[in-house]
Amino acid sequence: MQLDIHHLLKKYQSAADFISFTLVHEKTRDLKVRNGTPADLNQFDDVGLRIELMVNGHMGYAGTCELTSEGIDHAIEQAKIATRAAANHAIFNFDPLKIRPKNLGSYQSQRQKKLDQISTAEIYDFLKYTSLKMKSEPLVITSNADCIVIECQHAYVNSNGAQINQDFNLVGLSFSATAEKSGETQNRTFHGNRAKCLQIGAEIFDLNQYLEICHGIAQEAVELLSAENCPNENCDLIIAPDQMYMQIHESIGHPLELDRILGDERNFAGWSFVQPEDFGKLQYGSPHLNVVFDPNVEHEFASYSYDETGNPAERKYLIRNGLLMNGLGGLESQIRSGLPGVANSRASSWNRPPIDRMANINLLGGDLSLDEMISKIERGVLMRANRSWSIDDYRRKFQFGCEYGKRIENGRLTKTLKNPNYRGITVPFWNNLAGLTGTNSIDIHGSPYCGKGEPSQVIRVGHASPYAWFKHVDVFGA
Amino acid sequence: MIKNYVATLTSELFNLLQNNETVALSFHFEDSHFIRFNQSKVRQNTYIRQNEMAITFQKNLKEMNTVILLTLDFAQDLKKYQQVLTDFRKNIDRIDISPKFTAVKNNGHSELIKKVLRPDLEQILPWILNHFKNVDMAGFWCAGPVIKISVNSLGQFHYFEMDNFFFDYSVFDGDRASKGTYSAQTWDETHFNKNIQRTISKLQNLNKPRIQIKKGQYRSFLEPMAVAELLGTINWGGFSQAAYQQGNCGLKKLKNGDETLSSLLNLNENLSLGFSPAFNESGEIAPSILNVIKNGQLIELATSTASANEYHTESNFAESHESLRSLEVQPGRLSQEKSLETLGTGLYLSNLHYVNWSDLQNARLTGMTRYACYWVENSEIVGPIEDMRFDDSVYNLFGKNLSALTIEQELYPSTMTYQKRQLGATKVPGALIEDFNFTL
Repeated sequence: MQLDIHHLLKKYQSAADFISFTLVHEKTRDLKVRNGTPADLNQFDDVGLRIELMVNGHMGYAGTCELTSEGIDHAIEQAKIATRAAANHAIFNFDPLKIRPKNLGSYQSQRQKKLDQISTAEIYDFLKYTSLKMKSEPLVITSNADCIVIECQHAYVNSNGAQINQDFNLVGLSFSATAEKSGETQNRTFHGNRAKCLQIGAEIFDLNQYLEICHGIAQEAVELLSAENCPNENCDLIIAPDQMYMQIHESIGHPLELDRILGDERNFAGWSFVQPEDFGKLQYGSPHLNVVFDPNVEHEFASYSYDETGNPAERKYLIRNGLLMNGLGGLESQIRSGLPGVANSRASSWNRPPIDRMANINLLGGDLSLDEMISKIERGVLMRANRSWSIDDYRRKFQFGCEYGKRIENGRLTKTLKNPNYRGITVPFWNNLAGLTGTNSIDIHGSPYCGKGEPSQVIRVGHASPYAWFKHVDVFGA
Repeated sequence: MIKNYVATLTSELFNLLQNNETVALSFHFEDSHFIRFNQSKVRQNTYIRQNEMAITFQKNLKEMNTVILLTLDFAQDLKKYQQVLTDFRKNIDRIDISPKFTAVKNNGHSELIKKVLRPDLEQILPWILNHFKNVDMAGFWCAGPVIKISVNSLGQFHYFEMDNFFFDYSVFDGDRASKGTYSAQTWDETHFNKNIQRTISKLQNLNKPRIQIKKGQYRSFLEPMAVAELLGTINWGGFSQAAYQQGNCGLKKLKNGDETLSSLLNLNENLSLGFSPAFNESGEIAPSILNVIKNGQLIELATSTASANEYHTESNFAESHESLRSLEVQPGRLSQEKSLETLGTGLYLSNLHYVNWSDLQNARLTGMTRYACYWVENSEIVGPIEDMRFDDSVYNLFGKNLSALTIEQELYPSTMTYQKRQLGATKVPGALIEDFNFTL
């Protein structure tokens, strides 16, 4: 990145009561191979500048990819006009020192081999052979192997004295096999659609390891063709980590976002059933439920050292022994609400302002092995890998569908089930959490596509979870 | 200015090509002002200047694609392009030929410029906020020009420029809410006022005791916005040729003739609505009206030329994602004014939320009621309902259980702004549906 943001800071320091510059350079390779041939080989080299400037306690934003003197002048001028006009009608009068701290620091994703050390052609070969491996299974009509490979650098300076550089290497790997026979079609993936997302280097592209995984995916897609439909009943449910990530995301992450609780999101994604007075009082779940905001987990998708307002990111309990403790809100939401929060003001890129986002939200492990958990269940279902999701605008009534199920009868896994789904209501559901597998069973997933905000933004999130056992759940099939 | 810059830049870029190399370029320019509101105040204002150039590079029947951001500094933009070209040349020989390969061709020239008359940002803020002095409003204002250009090294040049604006908002009385959207070719304060008053007036009906509905099946009237929400999800692969061929099309059973829809349903892609360019990202000109469902029969899927090549069928010049850009459902015979009278007893639903496929292969959708939704008895609104979850098949909702569509259609320009502003629109009527299945 050639643009000198320190120089920009000197040049425009007096343009407003406060000013900051974030230079974002994100290079994405989004590659998809279908049935062993190229489906989409796309790259995106995204470079732009986000400018924050404050007028009379109100923060306004501009973003531009015109990284020239004229382009930056124009963006600042437009932001000043809009922010001056808006400041007279602002929702809150902020002190810039309280919402944009002076911090100096840096971050780098854990990796053995940087992502710029692997060529697009090499990744293509990896996807081609994994895709062909799935397609070699009889009855598989479509096999997709795809990945997003992201190299992202953020450089941030502000007029309070902050200087932060963060360097991310991120990979999302996805494999799917669609099998068909006699009009029945079933799909099986690698932990759901692009749910295996990590901060990692090029060492992830280990062909032998993934050929074996892809063989298993294709076999399970075919197995589902002759499986029974999931029954309709109220029973025990074990949810695997590759569905738990979505359960945590939708029914814990979003309702705890302070900007939702404050109403910012009401016209788009919705409000929250959680009220400000619930913190410290609401028994969100059973005593097994311990959930943390943790941006410091090696390889998890949304790890970082500072959020995009320069606030240092630290692990914090959101729910402890089932009791609601903290919300997910950055410094602005914390000041507006008077509630404790975390460092999670984040933006999808240079062209959007930071808002409260989830980052890594993790469920801590329990004390059971998976075999012990199954052995305690007389009649139930185990579900793996998300395929459908929906929840209301207050985050109460949800419904999820999974790819692959197993019947549990008399403490044993028995037949395979297709089309497994379940539905419930957030707080009673989490209060029916009966047990969790141990820390060594925790698996990390995530998503590149958490949507929120006006203008809309997708953000990267990470969720780590063990297997979780719930009582009294409505499960159903197709 | 943009048009001249693109003409000059691309002429230089195409000179860099070697034998048997072809390039197609698809541009997106936007100059946007966004304002986000909460509690009838400004939460955030954002100004964006975003210039994207999507490069499709072809050589020896192979293709790679890269999007770069333009600074509008000729030397910088040329340098970026040269780096991309080097990367293409380094990698392209090592990849295979795709069965959907579509050679770049010259699809001609066109130019369309659409302007709107709208107030400046400094004017609009007090105009909006004065209307909500006594009402709690959360909303989103978006305004400014979007330019789409499709050019290639074989001589094609299509130009589309559209200035537009929308105000998408919700008003609240505690946790009871109603929603409105205002957009027009020419800002009209009288129409704007009426739009807001209509939305606010819905709150009055919500100010009655809330009714908890048991799960089950209900005769339901869906306002156009609720119908648009269902169709938005169905349009997510439901009309796509590639999704059908690859086993992931929600309407597969309709296409195969195993299921049917109501003969009342006529659904088109109608580009003459004017909210998106007539050309796709490759510069192909689609027919202004494409009949997709006629009298309940699926007669055509959205088919890109890439899918047509791969599956040996005809292209109708859909975009590569094969979603309908301007979806229109033809009107029916029910007057909106008579919707309550015709409903009699049942649910009146203004909006739905978070609709998703719950069983793609069987075209089942799940989602929630949202905003102004009422229980109606003997054609009178009794009160608002607690939010309910539905789970039902498209073949029920728009098939055997579709009783009527309204004469009036509502037009909704796209309000989507993920990554960049999306163009397009949806125009749909309201719908009366029997036995809508609610599960939670």
